[in-house]
Amino acid sequence: MTGRAPKWIIIVVGFVGCLWIVPIIGIVATSLQTTDSIARGWWHFGENTFSLQAWRTVWQTYPLAGSLWVSAKITLAATILTMVTAPAAAYTFHYLRFPLRRLWLIIIINAFVLPQQVVIIPLFQLWRDVGLLDNMGAVIIPFVGLSYAWAVFLVKSFLEDFPKELIEAARIDGCGPIRTFTQVVLPNLISPIAACGILQFLWCWNTLLLPMLFLRSDISLTVLLARIAGTYDPNLDQQAVAAIVTAVIPLCIFLLFQKQFAAGNRVSSGGKE
Amino acid sequence: MAQVELKDVSKRYGSVEVIRDLNLMVEAGSFTVLVGPSGCGKSTLLRMVAGLETISGGILEIAGTRANDLDPVARGVAMVFQNYALYPHMTVARNIGFALKIAGLDKAEVESRVREAADVLQIEHLLDRKPANLSGGQRQRVAIGRAIVRDPQVFLFDEPLSNLDAELRVSMRVELARLHQKLKATMLYVTHDQTEAMTLADKIVVMRDGRIEQTGTPEQLYSDPDNVFVAGFIGSPRMNFLSGEASQGLVHLAQGVTLPCPSTLSGPVSVGIRPEHMTPRGGRAHSLPVTIDMIEYLGGTRYLYGRLANETPVAIEARDNTGIRAGEQIDVTFDNHSVMLFDASGKRIRSAAPIPS
Repeated sequence: MTGRAPKWIIIVVGFVGCLWIVPIIGIVATSLQTTDSIARGWWHFGENTFSLQAWRTVWQTYPLAGSLWVSAKITLAATILTMVTAPAAAYTFHYLRFPLRRLWLIIIINAFVLPQQVVIIPLFQLWRDVGLLDNMGAVIIPFVGLSYAWAVFLVKSFLEDFPKELIEAARIDGCGPIRTFTQVVLPNLISPIAACGILQFLWCWNTLLLPMLFLRSDISLTVLLARIAGTYDPNLDQQAVAAIVTAVIPLCIFLLFQKQFAAGNRVSSGGKE
Repeated sequence: MAQVELKDVSKRYGSVEVIRDLNLMVEAGSFTVLVGPSGCGKSTLLRMVAGLETISGGILEIAGTRANDLDPVARGVAMVFQNYALYPHMTVARNIGFALKIAGLDKAEVESRVREAADVLQIEHLLDRKPANLSGGQRQRVAIGRAIVRDPQVFLFDEPLSNLDAELRVSMRVELARLHQKLKATMLYVTHDQTEAMTLADKIVVMRDGRIEQTGTPEQLYSDPDNVFVAGFIGSPRMNFLSGEASQGLVHLAQGVTLPCPSTLSGPVSVGIRPEHMTPRGGRAHSLPVTIDMIEYLGGTRYLYGRLANETPVAIEARDNTGIRAGEQIDVTFDNHSVMLFDASGKRIRSAAPIPS
């Protein structure tokens, strides 16, 4: 077998790839064309006129920079909290024995089946009573809480394959549960933690419902995008700008950390497999 | 260096009892090997001494103090695992020094002790590497280094050589024996490999089904086993067992050969003969007809594997080239003095006086 793929595979995959890029080209082109040109169809590159007007309008009319900052703060806080606490929870459930362990785990994992929409009304009442409305905490707390369902599950299933001898060796070496976690388990959980981080980042960044309901003065990017689209003007060019701005950050994150998905996600205790 | 004593120790998982009222004394400074088929409870016993498994009943004493409920560290034990259990994210030096760091020793002290351990095992040049970049034998050394750096009261080995290739296993065996001579520490070693047990141990403990079958030096177990199980387990190729019938001071083997035995004995017995006590030479009394199936040539010796007329498998050791080929039928004689008798339940029948030939 040679290392080269047959030609027809390259052609087919290339064609599918191009097809997938078309909407992205379209959205970039739309953001760079005048309203008349868009009405004609963004793909008439020869006749259409290009302008940076939409970018200028969006930047000047809407608090884009502010929203970017709000989104970044909420997303980073929620992501970091999940990345730190979910592995700890997974470790606790996997290795430590305590009463009602199984029940607790089932309750947490069960949030999987809970749609976000179900929690918004009770949560809204709660936040109103505690005075947390229009506070970023009102969004960050449910973001982190809802993420446990899959994040704990993800890290715990990774721990199923974690060599038991390493935990035992740590015990023999004198580590208690906390040191075992921080010194032995955590350094070997990089890939599932990175996976949790990426998924949580993308999810938080793209969520519209909770920030829209719980935040008034701090507007996240997705809410802003919804507002731009909400006017009666045929402002497809501006919507395209907002969509690009919103999508570009998660794209960068994914490109930066995609290696963590592919990197060897098995921990070995050194035996010959 | 400390002695380990187990008094009536048992281990239960729910209603399943894997170890029953076990009594064992591991003398200070001895190299004691627990050996037995898989599932016999030897690893569980080791893990109970280590503190990785709870003790369901009985008393474990290390250096004369009760250690049932102590943490592994407080017991002063160090363990070498079958899969080495090296921390993959740490360098060799950090792996070896980890326990000392946890114990709160200062950096310079940790470093000098790691160097010392590395020196003993000749792995100084590997100290900056990660476990993934080591060969199997090197990993094994690091795992041992991690144990010796702590200067423990008791070393525990859980089948440490079973992941190595045959050649490396032999050389590591020699090194372990040398290490024991050098450190003079108490070592408790688990293996299913009787050769490892024979070559390393001061004392072998043969286990089966959560019980000790026999304890003794390698020579004792080989030449004077208590029962069929120990006789068959120790020695390779294993002892030949021929079935016979005892009556009036004679054992009648199925092949028409008779053997003298204590006159009080009667009923079915098992006659054990080691391969080296059988001689492929016919024409004498007690000769058994054996059909040879296969010949294993090992250079200095060769083993002839065959079967008797009643399909009982037999192994015979031959020192020199006998010219015998597979498929041939030969007559085999054996030495009356080296025959062992076992009763129907498998227990050894020791005659007060040597059996007259």
